[in-house]
Amino acid sequence: MIGTREVEESPVADGIHGGVAGVLEHDVIPFVSYPYEWTFSMLRDAALLQLGLLRRSLDKGLILKDSTPFNIQFRGAEPVFIDVGSFEKLREGEPWAGYRQFCMLFLNPLLLQAWKDVPFQPWLRGSLDGISPQELRNLLSLRDRFRRGAFTHVVMHARLERRYEERDDDLKGELKKAGFKKELIAANVKGLERLIGRLRWEPPQSTWSDYGLETTYSSEDAERKARFVRAAVESEGPKLVWDLGCNEGVHARIAAETADYVVAMDADALVADRLYNALRGEGRQNILPLSVNVVDPPPGLGWRGAERKPLPQRGRPDLTLALALIHHVSIAGNVPIAEFLDWLRRTTRSVVIEFVSPDDPMARRLLARKRPNDHPDYTEDWFDRSLRERFDVVRSETLAGGQRTLHLARARS
Amino acid sequence: MTSPLSYIDPGSGSLFLQALAGGVAAVGVIGKVYWRRVKRLLHIGKPEDEGSPS
Repeated sequence: MIGTREVEESPVADGIHGGVAGVLEHDVIPFVSYPYEWTFSMLRDAALLQLGLLRRSLDKGLILKDSTPFNIQFRGAEPVFIDVGSFEKLREGEPWAGYRQFCMLFLNPLLLQAWKDVPFQPWLRGSLDGISPQELRNLLSLRDRFRRGAFTHVVMHARLERRYEERDDDLKGELKKAGFKKELIAANVKGLERLIGRLRWEPPQSTWSDYGLETTYSSEDAERKARFVRAAVESEGPKLVWDLGCNEGVHARIAAETADYVVAMDADALVADRLYNALRGEGRQNILPLSVNVVDPPPGLGWRGAERKPLPQRGRPDLTLALALIHHVSIAGNVPIAEFLDWLRRTTRSVVIEFVSPDDPMARRLLARKRPNDHPDYTEDWFDRSLRERFDVVRSETLAGGQRTLHLARARS
Repeated sequence: MTSPLSYIDPGSGSLFLQALAGGVAAVGVIGKVYWRRVKRLLHIGKPEDEGSPS
């Protein structure tokens, strides 16, 4: 079984008495993430894991009683199923109770993005139950209705759901008597695996997807920046690193050379998706790519806002990389510099932060969209003063002819 | 229809759909469901064949 191993003889098993067939122990997932932070390929791989497990369970006379992506976590770029309690004995003649949930939380979000190029993340963040067949059906064009899988899983599904909404038929009993058997579930699961395995998200060029190519860095400056980050990671010795605005993941990879685990976040879901696919290809298990916008981070959700935790409550980073980020947060995101540094001080122990001068071409481009005096706090002096009020600056280095400055700083308590 | 044995709502329409999504083998099951409904309507079913009261 994936993500769980059977514990042979251990002190854990000694403490448990009476009628216990076995003891299972989960490997610790280094950082918890949720589907509304995953990229398209992450949700697709999670869906394929869920279906693969279900198919193999059926062979053994078992079934998964639910199908929620919240039962899947990522260890780096590897999806891991974490809910052993989901397995139960298959009752002959009964359909798959989790099919509807699978459609709402896996299939429909994937179809929405693959067919309509509409990101599923905001929808899943807005509704923990997912996207209903009816809702997705309402979004499909005539052309979409002829796509593979659309008629059965969306159009017919929506229609049947409406038809049976008000009726109290014993449908389960009827199906059983008519000879419903597990081979039908297996055929459905295989069909879903084929359908989902072929789904691709092919968006038009996103804002930052070619960012790596158009940064203002010379290769020499890029090398110095990499050295600065490597030295910072070595001197701070972090277990958990956050890389905010990770882009292609160059610096997340450097951090992962020595840190235990790196959470690499980017507001651009396409950039994060490319990083995921690259890491998945390499079998990396210590860099977790996520699609997260630091100025609009995932909040607490669900009952009492406590079922799904806000990002900072899932593990405090020892070191945070905020490279070429400040101009996005301050100018594009309208978060005052002092406010951002306050948040950083409370969130992380140390930070490598890069100040991008207002004269830098990237910053100028963002400032050009604003009125002349919209960002009076966006100056190097104000940034320096605000940083030193909240952090002890360990070392600094100036790059790109003075237009970019790197600081390694430790939060004051 | 409520399902006492699952903690999430499987959805009646979704249950029915699974017979459709099961491919060729499913045709027989759907046919049988409807055949039974017709028989029940015409009161020609044997007693043990009867489903829940309509």
